[in-house]
Amino acid sequence: MMPELLDAWKRPEPPEPQEATGFFTDTTLCIGCKACEVACKQWNQLPSDGFHWTGNSYDNTVKLSASTWRHVAFAEQFESNGHPPRWLMMSDVCKHCVAAPCYDACPTGAIIYNEFGSVYVQDDICNGCAYCVVACPFGVLDRSPEDGGAHKCTLCYDRQKDGMTPACAKACPTASIQFGPVETLRQKARERVRELHERGEQDAYLYGTESTPEYSALHSMFLLKDHPNVYNLPEAPRRPAAQLRQNYLVSFAAALGVAVASAFVFGRK
Amino acid sequence: MMNATTTEGRALTPSVFVPSSVPEKTYYDLPFLKRPTWGWEIVLYFFLGGISAGAFILAGLADFFGGNRHRQFVRRARYLSLGTLLPCPPLLIADLGRPAKFSHMLRVFKPESPMNTGAWALFAYGQLAGIVAVLQSRKLMPARVQTGAERAVSLAAQPFALTILAYPGVLLSTTSTPIWANRRFLGPLIGMSSLSAACDSLALVATDKPQTAAALDTVGRISHAAEASFLAAYIRQAGETAAPVTRGRHAPLFWAGVVGAGLILPELLRSKTRGTGSRKTSLLGTVLSLAGGLALKWIVVHSGRESANDPSANRAVSRAVRPRH
Repeated sequence: MMPELLDAWKRPEPPEPQEATGFFTDTTLCIGCKACEVACKQWNQLPSDGFHWTGNSYDNTVKLSASTWRHVAFAEQFESNGHPPRWLMMSDVCKHCVAAPCYDACPTGAIIYNEFGSVYVQDDICNGCAYCVVACPFGVLDRSPEDGGAHKCTLCYDRQKDGMTPACAKACPTASIQFGPVETLRQKARERVRELHERGEQDAYLYGTESTPEYSALHSMFLLKDHPNVYNLPEAPRRPAAQLRQNYLVSFAAALGVAVASAFVFGRK
Repeated sequence: MMNATTTEGRALTPSVFVPSSVPEKTYYDLPFLKRPTWGWEIVLYFFLGGISAGAFILAGLADFFGGNRHRQFVRRARYLSLGTLLPCPPLLIADLGRPAKFSHMLRVFKPESPMNTGAWALFAYGQLAGIVAVLQSRKLMPARVQTGAERAVSLAAQPFALTILAYPGVLLSTTSTPIWANRRFLGPLIGMSSLSAACDSLALVATDKPQTAAALDTVGRISHAAEASFLAAYIRQAGETAAPVTRGRHAPLFWAGVVGAGLILPELLRSKTRGTGSRKTSLLGTVLSLAGGLALKWIVVHSGRESANDPSANRAVSRAVRPRH
């Protein structure tokens, strides 16, 4: 146990930064086969979540969790807003935010940006404080009841180190999940939207390719066909630490104010 | 389960009532945020740590500005600080998913993480508060030197004690949990509640001198007034997302416990006993107000769960300023 404790304080030289990589998940190509879910579970040796019928279309996985790092969402739309009945599917994953709230929140430095620009939880450092769980505006991170640590998609860090494609993208039979350098993916995504618009699919748009005044760009970007809430994504995620300084200021000012008043009271003869 | 899809799906079945307005777009009305895992350990830590830091600050103020008038109070307040501080680290460690790795909290220095800031502040404050208590517990050096040393260490600990008071609410506000997210008044609310609880605890154990008791009573009233104001400001700012507190699961405890028994009743009892000095009645007021403070921290911590589980609150706090659809 002692050497283990000391290891946490050692700082080896980080690897040379590489070109940033990410996912582009094109939901118009998703057929809901869940090969990504299975490939992810197999490669990362994630335990089963049990099996429960939800009655929510084919979505019996429900959400991303400590043991589910890809989750396929199924939205059945029978008759809505003028378009013919359709079945929307989306393979959800950690967004690998350029400015990640979980990274800011992590008090141990367990969450880092690795050389591929992905947000990575160092399992040997994480002490299970669960602050990242509430920091993430997408609800990606989860603390495992089994080992007490926080877990999420690593963007297959281990596979990337060996020059391999992440398991989900490799398994995807329709190229709905594409992996590659972030800049290339953004370019591809924009071209794809243009193509869909030309074909008359005016509702296609990109989620997470650009930063907004409230939130950074994402290294896992999506092409969606309906409002983000339809896929259980936040419409406009906020950075929890956006007002950290002001909030500290108000809190300290209040405490100091009452302290000054108390000083007068105690000083009175 | 009511949701866009099934509502629209059922529109094909005429026997089911269908509201004419288009329902809000949702994913089976499921929340997308994860629930906070924090529970009673954190509630007790916020309560005891707050009393400790508050008592330490008040002891420092009474010592620096009151000269020798409040000597007995200062000594007892410092012991109370240490006593309430001791259970804090075990409580925090027990809350971790991996308690054996608790020391990793001090592995990095990271001001952007309020939890890291809090861990460092607690560490520094704990060491210094311990030294102060040891110094005043036995005669180690000439009296004047010893008092000087006590004061110096106590002064050095004040910024850390102030941080322990100020950071817990800021920590909660730096999350995506709707009822906490970016609530500016959560920091001062928790801080003022801690200070009030410190005054109440001190009133119970720290003084038999009428002059000190009167001063402490005034300070207690100021902090309770500040606490009540920040509570109102917080509830107002949280608006619809405060529902779990104002009319949901925690509403009975909130209105009866925090507002009624914790803030209003003690104030009524205080104004009634002023002058007559009925010790029993004022004791009752103090105990009620302490319980109210504990209830407030219980509710603030636990309401995060209902809030994160509420899909409409999830969507509401992440609404775009200008909607994209």
